[in-house]
Amino acid sequence: MKKFNYLLTAITIGAMSIVGCDPVEDINDQLEANEAGIFDVFDYTLTEDDYKETLELDYANFNTVDDAKTLIPTVLNTNFPVLGDASLANVSYDLYAPVSTESSLIVYTVSTADYDANPDTAQYNNFDDEEQIYTFLDCKFPNVANRTLVSLTYVFYNGSSQTLNNGFLRVNGEWQFVLGLTSAEYTAVGQGFANFNTEDEALRKLPIFLLDKFKYEEIAVNTVKSTMYKLYTTDVDDIDGDGSKTDRATYSYIVNFIYDGSSWSEYNNTLRMTLQFGNDSGVWVPDNTVAYSFTQGDIALVSSTLLTKYPGPADNVGFFKSFDRRSGSSNYWSDDMMIEAIGIVLDSINPNAEEDQKYAVTVVIYNGSTTNETFFLIKTDGAWVAQ
Amino acid sequence: MKKITSLLALVFLLFTAAMQAQGTIRGTVVDGENNTPLPGVNVVVNGTTNGVTTDFDGLFEIQVAKNTGALRVSYVGFAPLTVNFDVTGKKVVDLGTINLKMDSDALDEVIVKAYSLAIDRKTPVAVSTIKAETIENELGSQEFPEILKTTPGVYVTRGGGGFGDAELRIRGFNSQNVAVMINGIPVNDMENGNVYWSNWAGLADVTSSMQVQRGLGAAMIGLPSIGGTVNIVTKSTDIAAGGNVMMTTGNDGYTKYGFTISTGLLDNGWAATASLSRTTGEQFVDGTTIDAYSYFLNVAKKINENHELSFTAFGAPQRHGQRQNRLLIDDYRVSDRGIRTNTDYGYKNGQILNHEDNFYHKPQMSLNHYWTINEISSLTTSAYASFGTGGGGGTAGLNKFGKYDTDYRDEPFAPVNFDQIVAENKALGAAASAETFLRASINNHQWYGALSTYNTELSEYIDLSAGVDIRFYKGDHSTELTDLLGASFYIDNNDVNNPNKVVKEGDTYNYNDSGYTNWGGLFAQAEYNKDKISAVLSVAGNNTSYKREDYFKYTPEDPLRETDWINFTAFSTKGGLNYRLDSKNNVFANIGYFERAPFSDAVFINNTNITNENAENQKIFSAELGYGFRSDKFRADLNVYRTKWMDRTYTISRTADNIQYTANILGVDALHQGIELELSYRPVETLTLTGMASLGDWQWDNDVKNVQVFDDQQNAIGDPIDIFIDGVKVGNSAQTTFAIGADYEVLETTTLRASFNYAADYFADYNPTGRTTPNLPQTWEMPDYGLLDLGLTHRFNFGGFNAQINANVFNVLDTEYISDAQDGSGSVASTALVYFGAGRTYTVGAKINF
Repeated sequence: MKKFNYLLTAITIGAMSIVGCDPVEDINDQLEANEAGIFDVFDYTLTEDDYKETLELDYANFNTVDDAKTLIPTVLNTNFPVLGDASLANVSYDLYAPVSTESSLIVYTVSTADYDANPDTAQYNNFDDEEQIYTFLDCKFPNVANRTLVSLTYVFYNGSSQTLNNGFLRVNGEWQFVLGLTSAEYTAVGQGFANFNTEDEALRKLPIFLLDKFKYEEIAVNTVKSTMYKLYTTDVDDIDGDGSKTDRATYSYIVNFIYDGSSWSEYNNTLRMTLQFGNDSGVWVPDNTVAYSFTQGDIALVSSTLLTKYPGPADNVGFFKSFDRRSGSSNYWSDDMMIEAIGIVLDSINPNAEEDQKYAVTVVIYNGSTTNETFFLIKTDGAWVAQ
Repeated sequence: MKKITSLLALVFLLFTAAMQAQGTIRGTVVDGENNTPLPGVNVVVNGTTNGVTTDFDGLFEIQVAKNTGALRVSYVGFAPLTVNFDVTGKKVVDLGTINLKMDSDALDEVIVKAYSLAIDRKTPVAVSTIKAETIENELGSQEFPEILKTTPGVYVTRGGGGFGDAELRIRGFNSQNVAVMINGIPVNDMENGNVYWSNWAGLADVTSSMQVQRGLGAAMIGLPSIGGTVNIVTKSTDIAAGGNVMMTTGNDGYTKYGFTISTGLLDNGWAATASLSRTTGEQFVDGTTIDAYSYFLNVAKKINENHELSFTAFGAPQRHGQRQNRLLIDDYRVSDRGIRTNTDYGYKNGQILNHEDNFYHKPQMSLNHYWTINEISSLTTSAYASFGTGGGGGTAGLNKFGKYDTDYRDEPFAPVNFDQIVAENKALGAAASAETFLRASINNHQWYGALSTYNTELSEYIDLSAGVDIRFYKGDHSTELTDLLGASFYIDNNDVNNPNKVVKEGDTYNYNDSGYTNWGGLFAQAEYNKDKISAVLSVAGNNTSYKREDYFKYTPEDPLRETDWINFTAFSTKGGLNYRLDSKNNVFANIGYFERAPFSDAVFINNTNITNENAENQKIFSAELGYGFRSDKFRADLNVYRTKWMDRTYTISRTADNIQYTANILGVDALHQGIELELSYRPVETLTLTGMASLGDWQWDNDVKNVQVFDDQQNAIGDPIDIFIDGVKVGNSAQTTFAIGADYEVLETTTLRASFNYAADYFADYNPTGRTTPNLPQTWEMPDYGLLDLGLTHRFNFGGFNAQINANVFNVLDTEYISDAQDGSGSVASTALVYFGAGRTYTVGAKINF
């Protein structure tokens, strides 16, 4: 009898040793090895510490975009050491982009003699072309120091004659136009005279003025506008040339404003920029990938465009609003067909996409259950291909 | 209730009657071929209704009222035996060992024929038989067909793991191609051929034997026996008075209570058996809740020597939570719930809510009439009916059930937060149609059938059987809105007769149609038996008619609303020969060719009333050779088979100008061939060793080129399609399996069991007609796996009653294995959508017999 007990034990042990306990172990190990690791898609704004401590810069901004591309990965590595492949960081940083202001001022009103000096303007005693102004400036102020502002009052004919007060700033041998306010505009912003009473008042009212002045124009985000405003103040520089430095005179000042898409604010010589970085196997690299999800309209577009080429699959996706990704199905969308279909949609939503533009496009698929799948495409030689 | 009380009273009356006895007779009944004890054998005092059945050791003890007389010992599949007794002057007489022989000539032919059972060493088919005792001891909480897993050629999967969601596949053919018969009545769904085991959940309690006939099988009627036939024979009238109560508990709260009670054959010729059970709890997979009852009733009346009527009714009303969505292997790996992960349930108001569930009740009733016409002729007739009501739950509207969708789950794969969905429906306002809601696909049916077989002896050696097989089936299909999830209505536009229909809970929407399937069959079989030879030749012909009526897609005036009858005629013929070389060795061969009508979904493409009248019959050719060896201690069966399945039904459709055109894909052929071996060795009385090996080679046979869809003007629509499947392995069933088992009686009262099942060469499921580009890789092969099960049966006396405890541990080693897979992109592990099989589970049950 005992030997049958042994036999039974032997069978059991034999059976156990044949297969071990976990037939799926190898597959699981491999899946674990290929695991995406910790990843996140997030927005980040560089802090002062990032510039000054981590990057040991003197100022909390970058001088060039290239500097940002080179240095930001260090910040990301320092701050997010655990993030790995497939992470996407949308990083905001400050780019140093100085816009000059005046260091000295000339206040001047164009006289009849000045107009007469130029045959083009002699007849009507006004300018009717911007070039005429620059010709006049070059002639009148040939040797002014760098960053000299000429606050110029002149008559400009553009359908009707108008007296304007604008600034012209000499920067590196060139005149730069600085927008000033006409008397009527000072009146419109609530001033009794053609000036502001205080700097604070100017800084409070000018953004509103700019919004109103350009309300019909399309202004890009980060557009910087130089403006010149007048202040009636103590003539410490004897700008009116009367020898007194205690009397009062009208001074002109430059202040720069930046547009953020909805309002203007004083420009502090840095632009708020964003750059997207992707984590490619542990290394952060600049990445222009745009994440996009298919809409119902996109599916309809794919379905109708490909109906002749792929009748079954195209009809199916149009009906079920999901791409059949079961390779056994007669309505199967292969990887190549998916790239083709997504390319059609990208050409429709972004026909002028630049070369090397990347997209991460998420679509609804059916693989036995309805779920999402994301495809990565890049524009290469004018066509959308898989990354 | 009153009936049960009277039944109980009756039983106790019988007990007391038996107590006033003259003497006691004991004995042991064994299978004469290998001396294994036969449980459940009927032992009746001749000329009386006094009877008992043998216990698990083949032992019986019967009190007799007279001093002398005879006992009739009978058991299905064995020749009945009459043993004389004389208890004069003695209290107890021991008759010793009584050998029952599998004497084919003396079998109760009526039952065997009516139920299409195969007889050992006589019927020329490959067969494995599972006895009631095995089911009782070893099934536990397993799915009913899983009891067949140690037989060759059989692969059983629990599917998603819900209660009754198992599928049985034989020789690589799925359940649509495996005929299932209960007491000789075919039960495969008339429309799609499927077998839903949840409909028969309680049958295990009342099964007297379960036979798997692989290949062509022994049935005379037209059956989809491409893979094989499973023949379930329930207990019936030939049981002595008595009964049992049982209770089982197991993992995940699995609980089952039940009882069986039998009157035995009463003096007035009546006999009744009733059985009732209730199962609750959960399966291994998360959220697979069970709430199931099952009942069985058999009432029989022996009118006279020549006529016997038997009425059987059984059913299993149930509702169970399902897992319907396979997941990636990586999903299970990262999910907190591991291989138990189920993304198809959630919580609403703190209560579990299965948005994928199944609820069904399919009572089946049959009235059998056995008429012994004369010495050589008999007529057996079954009239049967079944009424199915129920359906499967699912989701509708905006899909908020994505497995990774953390808007509606605490984390990926976590249960669905239905409260969130309810809140969002409510936020849309009282006047808004529900955004997301639950529905059920209702599939009710009425099925009436009659099966009548006439048997006669043409000569001393030749028997002839002939009969008719008629079936009427009506299936009603609709969608019912089951839960508005906080909304107050849903607007549906799928009913042309009711545009902008306001649908509320309980209303029908989306689709509503009926399918009619009529079947008429004739069959005849001649059997020749002489000396060492048994030969059989059968022919059958049947006509399948389909009709479809659609209440939503067409107006009542539309002639398309109801189709004509679409007819398909199919013939089958098969023959076989068994040659008994000597008392130990036999060989057999069989060969057959049969056709099978396409399913209704190939006739009514995409559930419309546009008919595909030219759908082709499927054709099956099968041939098989077998060898059997029987001795006292050792039995072996070896067979080789070759089944060719031709013109498997597939269609493709294309749309042009909003009209759909269809083409039948012909020539999708598969070749299934293999070797099967089954062994049983009983070196000593107390030990039985069993073994099984099945090596299959199942492949698609050829590429199919240039399938073209044409419109009614014979203009080609779309490009022609090529299908590249030559040499691609058939998926969905392990091609190599083996099993070893041991059954060891440690003590007289205690038996230990161990069995090990191994599966290999198992390829992911896929649609062969989807392989429309050349040089695709072989589909993904799942990892091989082996599972160890252990069991214990302990018998004891419990206050004068025979009682036993059964304990089973399945997958003892907690092996993580993939039981089902659907091929994914690139045919690799990382893209396959899979179900894992259950981890370690157990049941402990007690049964008290009275």
